[in-house]
Amino acid sequence: MSINVRTKTAIVVAAASLAAATTGVAAASSPPITITTPRAGAWISGERNPYIAVAGGVQFAPSTPQTTRFYLRRDACGTTNDNPHLSVTSATDGGDGCGLIIDSAVGLGGNVDQAAFVDFPATDGMPLALDSSRPITGVIDLKGTAAGLAQVNVSMDALVGGQGVTVGSDSASAVLDPTASDNAVAFTITPSAGLAGADLQGLDLRVSISGPSVDAGYIGLSGKSFADVPSFTASVNRSVEISLDDPTFSNPIPARLGTSGSSWSVAIAAPAPGRHTVYAESIQGFATSKPVTTTFTVRR
Amino acid sequence: MIKRSVLILAACFAGLSSASASATAPVHAPIFMPNTLNVGNPALVPPPICCAPQGPPVAGEPAPVNMAYFGGHIQVDPKIYVVFWGWGEPGAFNHTTPGAPSDDPDGAAARMTAFIKAMGGTSWAAVSTQYYETVNGQNVHIQNPGNVFGGVWYDNANPIHNNLSGLELAQEAQRAAAHFHVTDFDNSQFVIAQPQMYNEAGFNSGAGYCAYHDYTEPASYPGVQPGISFTNMPYVLNSGSTCGENSVNTGYYAGRLDGFTIVLGHEVEETITDPGAEAVVNGQNLGGWYDYAAYENGDKCAWVGYTEGVAPASTVPGGLNDITGNDGKQYPVQSLWSNDSAGGAGYCAGAADDVPVTG
Repeated sequence: MSINVRTKTAIVVAAASLAAATTGVAAASSPPITITTPRAGAWISGERNPYIAVAGGVQFAPSTPQTTRFYLRRDACGTTNDNPHLSVTSATDGGDGCGLIIDSAVGLGGNVDQAAFVDFPATDGMPLALDSSRPITGVIDLKGTAAGLAQVNVSMDALVGGQGVTVGSDSASAVLDPTASDNAVAFTITPSAGLAGADLQGLDLRVSISGPSVDAGYIGLSGKSFADVPSFTASVNRSVEISLDDPTFSNPIPARLGTSGSSWSVAIAAPAPGRHTVYAESIQGFATSKPVTTTFTVRR
Repeated sequence: MIKRSVLILAACFAGLSSASASATAPVHAPIFMPNTLNVGNPALVPPPICCAPQGPPVAGEPAPVNMAYFGGHIQVDPKIYVVFWGWGEPGAFNHTTPGAPSDDPDGAAARMTAFIKAMGGTSWAAVSTQYYETVNGQNVHIQNPGNVFGGVWYDNANPIHNNLSGLELAQEAQRAAAHFHVTDFDNSQFVIAQPQMYNEAGFNSGAGYCAYHDYTEPASYPGVQPGISFTNMPYVLNSGSTCGENSVNTGYYAGRLDGFTIVLGHEVEETITDPGAEAVVNGQNLGGWYDYAAYENGDKCAWVGYTEGVAPASTVPGGLNDITGNDGKQYPVQSLWSNDSAGGAGYCAGAADDVPVTG
């Protein structure tokens, strides 16, 4: 059996899209990607069809806006295992109550306080699909007997595509009341517009606190200091790629997604006569589906 | 060939008045790159060559006095082979990063590979072109070709373990030479890069160094093919800021890998100018260029300008800084000693923050 496909790419793609649309996408329990064209076992005339349509359906996870809360945490006080970090879970911190607040002098507190700031890198919650259209908000809780004006500087950077990038920063000030159990200093970071839709591999919040009389205080942890990062439930970066006769996808061919987002198609040059296998996989952020395949034969 | 007369001549040219080489060859040791806390630590410096050695460098400052040629070969047309030994073996890393390969979760292997590919032809690498070897009375200078990358090998076939010995690293270098079918050993060097959880014993022990380079000869590496220049390149991120993390670029992630290119650049350029690693075999000095306190071009400029993050190192002439590679990307490096700089007095150069008078 042969499939007579017209030679113009546009027509091929249109036909492929139609084929995908009519076939539809497999149910949620099925593999998230299917190949509908060419049909398994098809015979295709290479002479009449310099291009072959490859198409199918795909089901991506919905990208629903949400907020991911990262708590500032610290495991211990003044040890090599203090491990200041961000976590999406909260509990009582072993390092709650130790002097993270530093004054204008540099380097107090050893390596943790190096150069008068403390890094809180995320140890979980990654990857994260950042929604840069909304601000990052949060609270640094100041406790202890600190008094007077305190300046809180926060900056956030992230790992995107293996490169460190700046997300944004903010400075906030507050007059501390030493009789209060907590002084919540709110901050707002406007994410860099260049990070729209970015899939974050890592996230770090750098905190610096200074003031004339803040050295007797500390950052309240155990759930009291946090950053709310706007995100999506799943990455907005979606793609489908195919590979001809190569299950390793060493030279992947990108496919075009249909407007509905549930179909895909691409035209490839007809390979040499013989039996061939097309592999297809869907990619959403860092999640790649298990490849699906179909086999067809090209005759002269 | 190397002759004693050449050595003496070199010493004379260096302007050293009280030259009198030691009668007994010093015990050979690798050429260590100290971490930021051990600059000037005498335990990490080979014995002085002769004469009145200069004192150890002051942390954060260059070590004065120009380098001299000691008669051994240099790498005129260098080729750098990078071996990622065991990075894909079980237990090599204790973490993963979304979107990053499991055998390189921090991107260190990718960064080091890119750096070696990008360093050729840069003004930083050009600092070494003033140095030469003397062959049949002719001075043959180091070249600065656009491509010094010899190849990369992810060796997951030969089992690795923690607390590696120097001998095991030398043996891996020999395996790499066979893997790459290397025949020109004078111009080849092998970087044995180790993954997070499997590193060389001295690095793990806190001896105070970030890396070292050496040269295989039977007394130090029995059973290993002689004449191989190799670098012990531990996973320097394990040592944090003392081996360069965030020492040039600010931001937790932006500067996280700084140490890899700073330390690797130190070692490969030292190997280019002194592939023999100051070894003396049967009275013959195999060393290339270093000063009479035994400091090589990298040692003399290690951690210049480093202030533990208080101020950018590049504000100090010759300080740590980003250079632009031949791929247009930025790579943090340390400067390299240039005899020609500062009107011939010598200074640290090449890191895009030279003193006004440069070579």
